[in-house]
Amino acid sequence: MKHQHIISFFISSCFFFFCCVLNAQETSDKETKTDTLIYKQKYGLRLGADLGKLVRSAIDDDYSGFEISGDYRLTKKLYLAGELGNEKRTITTDFLNVTAAGSYFKAGIDYNSYKNWLDMQNMIYFGFRVGASTFKQNLENYTVYNTNQYWPTQFSLEEPIEVDGLSAIWAELIIGIKAELFSNLFLGLNVQIKSLISEDEPNGFENLYIPGFNRTYDSGRFGIGFGYSLSYLIPIVKKNKKVVVDKTEN
Amino acid sequence: MKRYFILIYTIVSLILSSILLGCERDDICPEDVSTTPRLIVEFYDLLNQEDIKNVPNLRVQGIGNTEVLSSFTGSTAINKVELPLKTDEASTQYSFIKDYAINDNGTPDDLTDDYVTGNEDIITINYTIENVYISRACGYKTTYNAVNIQFDVDDTDRWIALAQPLNDNQSIENETSTHYKFFHQ
Repeated sequence: MKHQHIISFFISSCFFFFCCVLNAQETSDKETKTDTLIYKQKYGLRLGADLGKLVRSAIDDDYSGFEISGDYRLTKKLYLAGELGNEKRTITTDFLNVTAAGSYFKAGIDYNSYKNWLDMQNMIYFGFRVGASTFKQNLENYTVYNTNQYWPTQFSLEEPIEVDGLSAIWAELIIGIKAELFSNLFLGLNVQIKSLISEDEPNGFENLYIPGFNRTYDSGRFGIGFGYSLSYLIPIVKKNKKVVVDKTEN
Repeated sequence: MKRYFILIYTIVSLILSSILLGCERDDICPEDVSTTPRLIVEFYDLLNQEDIKNVPNLRVQGIGNTEVLSSFTGSTAINKVELPLKTDEASTQYSFIKDYAINDNGTPDDLTDDYVTGNEDIITINYTIENVYISRACGYKTTYNAVNIQFDVDDTDRWIALAQPLNDNQSIENETSTHYKFFHQ
């Protein structure tokens, strides 16, 4: 009888220790073991149009233009991006009336700095572009600026002066967001800070507006632009996005 | 998340459009920019050609203009005049009246029989115009080349003896220096 007690004690002890070891194993598991979730990421061509330019064309008599944009996803964070557009803008002051019209394209890279949740594909991005434009300037009218009005009429241009075949090259930094509103449909907003690299100027005149570059400033070579885009992603391939999640979080 | 993006989008759009609209309003031509210049004439003594000599009661009026050139109304002595030139024609005519006065003919109340006394010389300024671009806000200014001055050949009683440009083939590009010297006694 006494013998039996010793055996049962031994077995119980064994169980106890075993359980302890098991327990210990389980707690250490909880700290280190992780789970990997796999989401499908769409890689493809995203094509869009600039809403701002379309709206402005509709409401502003002195402006007409459109821009189509595209980007192609290269890696998880890098996109090859570009824009193609055409603009016509008339600038009228008290003394001048000049129209610039032409086409442009821009090409560069976008870098998505936004860490998306799950399978979302929103972007807060930075990028750069190199832009080039070919355009013409049509000086439709000017009246000589004279602070002295003793003689009431001033010289006024009668024949418009048109200068064709002008071009300009510039670089820009771009900051923007793109948010997926519905599946594959994105609404975007961006700001571009531009710096002219070279431009052709009409003889005895200057470019007040360069299609794609936007208006120029007297103070220097810098310019600024805005884009409001609506774009649609055409998925070409789907790649796995592995998300490592701590099991304790689940 | 979508709401968050749309909210940011709206706010940033509003800020950007206000900046954009704000920027396009600052295009005002500054006053210190050199624009269309006037012809600057100084009066010198014919006998001592280094000396400036005042013209008593000088009145200056453009031919074809109903207004007298302000500050040259014939009430003060003048040694320097600034003449605005027409930018839409290649010549401008001015009447210079020395010793300007109005004789009321003994009837101060009746203006109809008043007449002007003084010596009037009419000059014709001929030039070619050249329009030069200044800036977006100021547009173009006119400068004048090959400026010459002619007197009325029928005037036998001229008080301006001689008009002398400071340079050969005188041009008028700014108002920083005198362009012509008029000599008189």
